[in-house]
Amino acid sequence: MAVQLDEAAADTGPGTGPDGAPAARRGPGGRRAAPYLLLLPALLATAVFLGWPLVRNLVLSFQNLNMKELIQHLTDWRGPGNYQEVLGSEQFWRVTGRTIVFTAVNVVLIMLLGTLLGLLLARLGKTMRLVLSAALVLAWAMPSIAATTVFQWLFDSRYGVVNWVLDHLGGHGMARYDWVGTQLSTFFVITVLIVWQSLPFVALNLYAATTTIPKELYEAARMDGAGTWKVFTSVTFPFLRPFFMATTFLEVIWVFKAFPQIFAINQGGPDRLTETLPIYAFTEGVGNLHFGMGAAISVLTIAVLLVLTAYYLRLTLKQEEDAL
Amino acid sequence: MKRGLIAATAVAGMLVSVAACGSSGESGAGADGFKGKKLTVWVMSGSNPAQWTKQVSEQFEKKTGATVEFKVQQWNGIQQKLSTALSEDTPPDVVEIGNTQTAAYAKAGALADLSDLKKEIGADWSDAFNKAALVDGKQYALPWFAGNRVVMYNKKIWAAAGLTKPPTTRAELFHDFQTIKDKTDAEPLYLPGQNWYFLDGLTIGTGAQLVKQEGGKWVSNFGDPKVAKAMDIYKQYMAFSTAPKNKDEATPQQAEIFAKGKTGALIAMGYEAATAVKANPAIKDDIGFFTIPGETADKPEGVFLGGSNFAVAGMGKNQELAKEFLKVALSKDNDAQMVKEAGWTPKSPALAGAAKENPAAAAAAPAAEKSGGTTPLIPQWAAVENVPNPIKNYMTAVLNGKTPADAAKDIEAEINSRLAKQ
Amino acid sequence: MKRSLAGRIWPNATAAVLALGFVFPVYWMFATAFKPTRDILSENPVWFPLHATLDHFTTAVNAPNFWRLAGNSVLVTVAAVGLSLVVGLCGSFAIARMRFKGRKGILLTFMVAQMAPWEVMVISIYLIVRDADLLNSLLPLTVFYMLMVLPFTLLTLRGYVAAVPKELEESAMVDGCSRRQAFVRVVLPLLAPGLMATSLFGFITAWNEFPLVLVLNKEPGAGTLPLWLSQFQTQFGNDWGATMAAASLFALPILILFLILQRKAVGGLTSGAVKG
Repeated sequence: MAVQLDEAAADTGPGTGPDGAPAARRGPGGRRAAPYLLLLPALLATAVFLGWPLVRNLVLSFQNLNMKELIQHLTDWRGPGNYQEVLGSEQFWRVTGRTIVFTAVNVVLIMLLGTLLGLLLARLGKTMRLVLSAALVLAWAMPSIAATTVFQWLFDSRYGVVNWVLDHLGGHGMARYDWVGTQLSTFFVITVLIVWQSLPFVALNLYAATTTIPKELYEAARMDGAGTWKVFTSVTFPFLRPFFMATTFLEVIWVFKAFPQIFAINQGGPDRLTETLPIYAFTEGVGNLHFGMGAAISVLTIAVLLVLTAYYLRLTLKQEEDAL
Repeated sequence: MKRGLIAATAVAGMLVSVAACGSSGESGAGADGFKGKKLTVWVMSGSNPAQWTKQVSEQFEKKTGATVEFKVQQWNGIQQKLSTALSEDTPPDVVEIGNTQTAAYAKAGALADLSDLKKEIGADWSDAFNKAALVDGKQYALPWFAGNRVVMYNKKIWAAAGLTKPPTTRAELFHDFQTIKDKTDAEPLYLPGQNWYFLDGLTIGTGAQLVKQEGGKWVSNFGDPKVAKAMDIYKQYMAFSTAPKNKDEATPQQAEIFAKGKTGALIAMGYEAATAVKANPAIKDDIGFFTIPGETADKPEGVFLGGSNFAVAGMGKNQELAKEFLKVALSKDNDAQMVKEAGWTPKSPALAGAAKENPAAAAAAPAAEKSGGTTPLIPQWAAVENVPNPIKNYMTAVLNGKTPADAAKDIEAEINSRLAKQ
Repeated sequence: MKRSLAGRIWPNATAAVLALGFVFPVYWMFATAFKPTRDILSENPVWFPLHATLDHFTTAVNAPNFWRLAGNSVLVTVAAVGLSLVVGLCGSFAIARMRFKGRKGILLTFMVAQMAPWEVMVISIYLIVRDADLLNSLLPLTVFYMLMVLPFTLLTLRGYVAAVPKELEESAMVDGCSRRQAFVRVVLPLLAPGLMATSLFGFITAWNEFPLVLVLNKEPGAGTLPLWLSQFQTQFGNDWGATMAAASLFALPILILFLILQRKAVGGLTSGAVKG
């Protein structure tokens, strides 16, 4: 969850970026080396502690690294064998397709419902707004491992509240429903959990952002006889476009990478049918002790994520260019 | 993956073996060199009974001047934990390994050769026990214990339901469960849906083969009606239990549920009694055991014969000390203590007396003798039981109403791909 | 603008239902933690912990090493977040305020770094740490957590830094401050909400991390709370009272932190980033 707010802050930022004033030339600190010196620790840390594992991971993906090689510290080159095996397996493509659909469904739900929720916040009176905001903040702040545990309890087949409520609302036969018994129902629980965790971020920030929209814009639109929908499409949405872009980007990353939620609910089961790419990489690599294979899958996972977010990355860079 | 291949001849085999008991190795030179050292021993949750642990620690300390630390591990994720630990500079010195896994670790070069030690201390152990510790003729581990499942029941609850004598057939057992359900407020049986070793026993009972050969390759045979029949028996058992269908017997530890005194019976290993007593000492006198009854009175239900070995890490820095530890831990006295305290099947004739003292061991013996079996005895099998174990999915699916044939079809591809991996 | 009665009721009613929906899981966690077991495992849910008990909390706290692991968690989290704030602030200042060659590339680096799927890199990290002989130590954890947090810390702070009017800084310098003094006296105080907001998210990420500590620190005393919570759950499986007590203890520090800091966080965002 964490990632989002900051990111939104950063990435809605471009509009507010330095408006051309070449600060670096000015003042006693404006030496040429200054920006590099300031960035050095961050870049160095990233290169060493992210770059190194990434490179090592890439190297591993060309190795045969199973229990034997791990224990005896052997290096057994396999060339592109791991990739051939992964790319040639039907399962990898199925998992990739599933991951994309899963990400899309969740992100659409989160953005849609989050926007509605944010707009609702804007319409509420002061008291009710405070109540709803407080509720949202609580959900937002739940660490995902704790939240996942709680959802397992809520959806427990025997004593879970959800089954009790459904049973009493007339859905008889729901009394001992096993939520993690089928692919669809397991995904349902995971989706409810993820959407529940993610909505507060979108809603609260959207609301906060709407308060910055000049009132006159709304009034003008209303004068022109625009209805609620029209006001949203002609004023709110265009004004908050950067916000929507940044948030969607973050939600894509976040949902795509969701790990503890899926893993803890049912370890990617039943029958490995709820494995997304990160879970698949973990299960093949760490679970089944085929570490080289797991590394190859993780490299491919990173590639898929880059493809999914390429559009936004390009857009941001272009904006940066314009901003300077 | 736990407690693997002890052949059905475990008990019979003992009778043949040489009675060279009590060769206490007083040759322990270099005792001074060990003074002040600390040996780390990984044991699985529930494996080491309290009294055994105490006396082994004391004897070891007395003999070598070094201390031993037992580190209890959970089954969940143990493969990964153990294989990484064995690759490290300071691995645990001695590890307990389920005997289905021993060959895999030995082949990975993780374990020290213990052939000499076996000759020294284990001359009278039954071959059936020792088989899983042998890889390519070398001794890479020493058998610690083995046994099979029994019904562990709460005497108080059975008495409250007016039941006085243990059932001798499956029908009688179910009738007794029903009586408990009707007459008491206890749950007749706690059996989670994924106790796969119990299912394995049932398939042994129905004569099912879990894998078959097709075109020179091993493939899944879960579609066999005999597997379906075993699963149907499992389902009948579960009708008396409200345990979750998607959990196994270790999450949570079923003995800890039993310890609350609200459960009529468990399908359990003898050692689980100790887990229950630890959770609730008051339950001690209420625990009883009987053989899992079969279809007819003359042949008990099929059971999986499983056990664990002790192995010494090949990368360990204290290998000599580790061997000293094994001499102590697997001495005749301490083996007898294991049998007495946890109800394991005796691994040498010399321990037969100890078995009589333990009701769980007594209850386990008839089934081990007449209806014991194993998981498929092919090297590829261990991978099938890796997490996530597809068989557990099969069980949950059937218990949730899927037909066994459909559920078998769902896991076929996964099992076949695991059987195909080297 | 006037609205009909119905028009005023439905948003409030919807909001009330939604608020309930969002709070319920959190409430249920605490409520379950306080209820005696018979109220937890009951055919009909007991909605309020009328017979409140602390038993489950006792069980949770008495689990081996609890305090040790809690200490580890706090130490690692605070150190990782603190480090990333310092390092991130320096970097963000350069990116937001200075023009230099390679700026775009550097920005892209951090945006991509933010996407790193750490969970799937555990094995390579494990091998690196193993070969460096640093297993079961808090140092690698701190370092890697810092890096998990760093990209978004830096990117976020960049938005906040950019939002501080440059004129303030300049006028301070006109008044005789050096650039560094101007930064410390003028910019830094204005960045406070941003730093708090950012640290909040850093705290959550580091506090939550699980796959890495699972593989790196196998010694029982060297773990962190997420490890404890997950093991607790395996061991106590359907002891939902104890499990929920454990989850409550785990969530509480973050909940409190959030309640204290969130106004600043959300406020900071609006004033900072969406200034348009």
